Amino acid sequence: MTSPPPQLRSQVIALYKNLLYMGRDYPKGYAYFRDRLKSVFLKNSGVKDPDQIKVLIGRGEFVIKELEALYMLRKYRALKHRYYEKDEATTSATTSSSDKKAPTKTQ
Amino acid sequence: AAPTNILSALGTIAPHRCYGHGVEMTRHMLNERVLLVLRLFDKINPDKLTLESQFAKDLGLDSLDHVELIMAVEDEFGFEIPDQDAERLRSPEDIVQYLCDKLDVFD
Repeated sequence: MTSPPPQLRSQVIALYKNLLYMGRDYPKGYAYFRDRLKSVFLKNSGVKDPDQIKVLIGRGEFVIKELEALYMLRKYRALKHRYYEKDEATTSATTSSSDKKAPTKTQ
Repeated sequence: AAPTNILSALGTIAPHRCYGHGVEMTRHMLNERVLLVLRLFDKINPDKLTLESQFAKDLGLDSLDHVELIMAVEDEFGFEIPDQDAERLRSPEDIVQYLCDKLDVFD
């Protein structure tokens, strides 16, 4: 990367490091996440235009936020499953509408 | 003079400090630990690994592998290495020297 400023390069490296830290808890495994992350970064490694690099960095930061949301949702579901009994209201709320068409009358 | 308290009477019990100083580290021990971490890293060929081998030139690692490698070293030694220091560490020798500076090992 000869033309982009060195701060952008260090931002990209910091982004890669953050994504690796986030990937440690990924449900499909760290190796799966790391291989796919590396291939995406390598695919975009030829980009030289600073504005385009900033757009790609923005995309990476969006992925970090998505992963955070995924982990928070996973924790919420795990705790809910552990500490709360499933009752009629939650089962009917969480099953899809196609399931509701089947008769599920409880006596 | 007769012993005045139980500890001096027993004479053999050495005081054990649970929160005392860490392990005494020597440069040799650091070499071994760093080489072990690097050998366990799957992108490095253990046959080509020596203390002087350069990550980029001799071992064929790119900058993204380098980030992951530094993360592995951080995990082994329990402290974070900032990115600007990390990019100067180009061989195992550099890493050992950096750790000696940070951990006050003077061999």
